[in-house]
Amino acid sequence: MNLAATSFGIAMAAGALSIVAALTIPARARSALVGSGVAITGLAGVAAGAAAMTGQAFSLALTGVLPLSGVSFSLDALGGLFVAVTGGVAVATGIYGISYAREGSRSTQAALPVFVTAMLLVPVASTVGTFGLAWELMALASLLLVLTEHRHRPEVAGAGRWYAVLTHAGFITVLIGLLLLAGHATGDSFPELREAAGHLSPAVAGIVFVTTLAGFASKAGIVPLHAWLPRAHPEAPSHVSALMSAAMVNLGVYGIVRIGFDLLGGGPRWWWLLVLALGAVSAVYGILQAAMGTDLKRLLGYSTTENMGLVLIGVGAAGLFAASGDRGLAALALAAALLHVVGHATFKTLLFLAAGSVLHATGTRDLDALGGLRSPMPVTTAAFGWGALAASALPPGTAFVSEWLLLQALIHGLPASGVATAIAMPVAVAAVALTAGLAVATFVKAFGVGFLARPRSSAAGNAHESPATMLAGMAVAGAAAAVLAVAPSVVLPGVAAASNAALGAAGPAVTGVVTLRLAGIAGSLSPLMLTLALLAAVLATAGAVRLLSTRRARRAARLWDCGAGPLSARMEYTATSFAEPLQRVFDDVVQPETDVDVTHHRESDYLVAAVEYRRRVPDRIERRLYQPVLTALSAWGQAGRRLATGSVHRYLGYGFYAVCGVLLLVAVTR
Amino acid sequence: MLKLWHKIRRTGRVAEPAPAHPGGDRPAAAVELGGSVQVRHVDAGSCNGCEVEIGSVFGPVYDAERYGARLVASPRHADALLVTGPVTRNMAEPLRRTYEATPRPRLVVAVGDCARNCGVFAGAYGVVGAVSDVIPVDVEIAGCPPRPEAIVEGLRKLTGR
Repeated sequence: MNLAATSFGIAMAAGALSIVAALTIPARARSALVGSGVAITGLAGVAAGAAAMTGQAFSLALTGVLPLSGVSFSLDALGGLFVAVTGGVAVATGIYGISYAREGSRSTQAALPVFVTAMLLVPVASTVGTFGLAWELMALASLLLVLTEHRHRPEVAGAGRWYAVLTHAGFITVLIGLLLLAGHATGDSFPELREAAGHLSPAVAGIVFVTTLAGFASKAGIVPLHAWLPRAHPEAPSHVSALMSAAMVNLGVYGIVRIGFDLLGGGPRWWWLLVLALGAVSAVYGILQAAMGTDLKRLLGYSTTENMGLVLIGVGAAGLFAASGDRGLAALALAAALLHVVGHATFKTLLFLAAGSVLHATGTRDLDALGGLRSPMPVTTAAFGWGALAASALPPGTAFVSEWLLLQALIHGLPASGVATAIAMPVAVAAVALTAGLAVATFVKAFGVGFLARPRSSAAGNAHESPATMLAGMAVAGAAAAVLAVAPSVVLPGVAAASNAALGAAGPAVTGVVTLRLAGIAGSLSPLMLTLALLAAVLATAGAVRLLSTRRARRAARLWDCGAGPLSARMEYTATSFAEPLQRVFDDVVQPETDVDVTHHRESDYLVAAVEYRRRVPDRIERRLYQPVLTALSAWGQAGRRLATGSVHRYLGYGFYAVCGVLLLVAVTR
Repeated sequence: MLKLWHKIRRTGRVAEPAPAHPGGDRPAAAVELGGSVQVRHVDAGSCNGCEVEIGSVFGPVYDAERYGARLVASPRHADALLVTGPVTRNMAEPLRRTYEATPRPRLVVAVGDCARNCGVFAGAYGVVGAVSDVIPVDVEIAGCPPRPEAIVEGLRKLTGR
């Protein structure tokens, strides 16, 4: 028993105990016990993942647990990375949930440890059966958690329906792909699949890859299968949103990397061009929708689509480089993608937990009704501010390092062979750059409008700071984001081990402790020094301003309000008005619906009584793609109603004829 | 765009030749400004006759900017206030606040007869009084409305150019 196995065992035991505690302990102590149990599960998961990334591995087969195939687990460096990330998110959300989920019912309290345990099991599963089991357990537990507040808000049910349909459709395509692969192998364990993949015809391998990609992309919230994400994330309780957005979507990326690189052993260029294109479209579309959004949690949900898009750009680029034989660059691109997975997990946890704290204090997620939270909620404001900076790809932030690495990989990919690569790389660079710019605008809006200035509603005016455990949960996530921002070299060896496990490339792509150096490429970055330099510049500027300004006598003056009475909160910049110029620029892409209603006085048409302005930015892809399908489905359903008359005899008859039909079909085709 | 260039070339300079400097005493605060005066215009209740004339003062013909006076959009940017009209009840407080918002050294120019002594509106029910009843005035320009030359002359007293 090595450290990885021991820690993983502890994680599973803690998870199981938390489930039991949630079901048996009386309500008073329940949330505290479940929250600490989830945090311990997460902590043990981090230890197991870290041990796996340093080279320890374990495998375990329990043949008696499930009929037919049994279950078997094996933890390697690639799985270890995702186990560690999931564990880390679970630590923060577990602590946060102690007071946040206090009113939760028995079943929703129990679903949380089930969800975390299932997410820890997915990257460890080493047979198709086990993988499917863990995947489905994760989907069901998260669905239950999304539906937590369905009694209080009717819109939760709709969000849950979207999530259930898309996640299960995704599961089915993944299953089809994996079973197709297993059909060509001697068994359903991953080593057997890996061996069989060598003899697969390109067409079958392509089908396997595309079907699994569709399923995993829907889990990762990739356009056009993202429709569930901006619905389910806002409606779920915030610590669940954090778990889903920071840990669960990553497992979609895990699936793509595991199947594409590890099991199928890379592949032709078009696979990875497809991944790259999906990633680029998701990144730009996701952040564009986030930039237009006024719902705080919906905005964060779209930002998840954006970040997963960036990760897929890295994964796609890695596949392209690997297909052209450039293993060093492939390792760099994959390391950038995986580092972004880790970084995104930290700052998105922080942002969702801070948004949950705001929701807890004010009861609203509408940015246009928030504002003025700085003095009543200083810690939450600081947490969200730091999270926004970390997500913005600006120098002292977490996303900056991984996006810099990603851009380095893409830019140096230009001389790599092939017309497709030569076209794809500059486009990808442009997509990453546009995404980074829009992300800054989005988070400036979310932070500036949501937290600063004056409160725009009485709910925001009466806000109060959250309890200590919630703040502690945010502090854990914020500290992790800070460590990744200034010292990414802490996790880079682990990331390199994971990417080597996937690609089989030797040697880390990024070396150095304080200064990161790229292997084989002239490029280096020192996040710590950069942060220190920025800090010194800020302090020097502030000091200089203070020194110079004290020489002159200061005069206190009234705030200039054009001489007419005091400025009211209604005159403030809102999220809608902040996004308006951007909306104009991208008018053709987002196609917003605006509606102006002018009501005149009864006496004269020249006098205006009221003007009402409404703006909605609908998800255009969703409308074009899903609306026709839903309409057709509902038409079929209406037509099918004639078959279901309510007569039991008729239903029995259907069953009988169906069985006969299948038997006939088998008899004919055999 | 090309049309505009043609128009500019065809029209040439239309500014009146600069008259001789009016002379007279310069307010002490104006000397501190060193020849460049940023002006904020405040309509305290004018009939807009003075506004039309001020508009032509800063137009191409009288071109007050060549003497160093320039219109700005906020009292926070201004050195001088150009106040027109009798001060109405509604504008008395905003005028005081605008004066307070102007950084020191600050100057006030009362433009037109109404601003100097309420003109034809003297004693009207909505009028508080002349500009000097509300804020201290440094320069007065007479006329109803004053000719643009007179306003330019008043501004040149401030800029000293």
